[in-house]
Amino acid sequence: MERNEAINILAEGRGGAVSVVTMQSVYPWHQAGQGETLHIDASQCMGSASSIGLGLAAARPDKKVMVLDGDGSLLMQLGSLVTIAGQSPENFYHFVFANSLHQSTGNQQLPGAGRFDWTALAKGAGYADALRVEAAEDLIERLPRIWAMRGPVLIELVIEREDREPLWAGVPMAKQTALLKEQLAAS
Amino acid sequence: MTQPEPVARGVEASVIAAELRALGIDHVICIPDSYQKTLIALLQDDPAIRFITACTEDEAMGINAGLYVGGKNPMLVIQNNGIFASINTIKAIPLDARVPTFIFVGQYQRDPALPIEESKSRAVRMVEPTLDVWGVPRYRLEGPEDVGNIRAAYERAHETMGPAALIVGAPTL
Repeated sequence: MERNEAINILAEGRGGAVSVVTMQSVYPWHQAGQGETLHIDASQCMGSASSIGLGLAAARPDKKVMVLDGDGSLLMQLGSLVTIAGQSPENFYHFVFANSLHQSTGNQQLPGAGRFDWTALAKGAGYADALRVEAAEDLIERLPRIWAMRGPVLIELVIEREDREPLWAGVPMAKQTALLKEQLAAS
Repeated sequence: MTQPEPVARGVEASVIAAELRALGIDHVICIPDSYQKTLIALLQDDPAIRFITACTEDEAMGINAGLYVGGKNPMLVIQNNGIFASINTIKAIPLDARVPTFIFVGQYQRDPALPIEESKSRAVRMVEPTLDVWGVPRYRLEGPEDVGNIRAAYERAHETMGPAALIVGAPTL
């Protein structure tokens, strides 16, 4: 599926989930109108989205937390899968946009591209469950069931290659942390 | 022949834990450190604290940010090498994203008989200059007389909305 298709489906079905988004999913998430409420971008700290999400999930077990990660990003802090599983946050939903490329730097291939399996890595790390979704219509159909699952869950979203210049939302993370803290305190 | 007085002396873990309780710390994110092992053992058993062991200091900074934004009062317990390992994340999260990040940094492999500047360990010697380069405020815990620096570091992190480190110079007791 295309990244924008997945983004729009997740935006549509987000409910009240807190979102943490990184790399090339940031701009389309903002374009889909999801950047102002209960949201933070993981900017300039590649690989940190999952850890920020874990902290949020631990702090607010009453809210679902969705992390829109990249496969290249997650590889940079792969151990976070084990740390997350160790804390067993039932409200943690880890969507990994998998195109086997470092898109933000010019579509360079990931190490080991095509040889590793995200669902096996997540399950091996101790996630409650993991699944792979290849088509947009499958994501539409399965998303309600995903939200009903007990976390932590990893959902690998198989994304097509995009040949375009990288896009960024350009919202400072400091502004977002202050706003999200305020919004969470009020909700 | 008498031994020279040590430069740094260990502080009772129970004294440090009492300071942390007084500050309302509710989450500790830890990458294990031999210099703070008695403190770590105490905090792990403290029912008022959720103790999270992470795989790397990068993760610890991210978890700290999520907890803080979610309304909690967390801190990190790491060792000197962890500062070197996590500079990019220190830049991005505590500094650029302005997240209070209160960090205990154990001086792993320091000989407490020697001043930090004379240590044979490069990690011991370089951790403070590294923090200085990045503008990270730092305080020393060189003995019981420095216990007030725990609160000073915590308050600095929250006043400046950024990182502040307490350099633990001798093994906790």
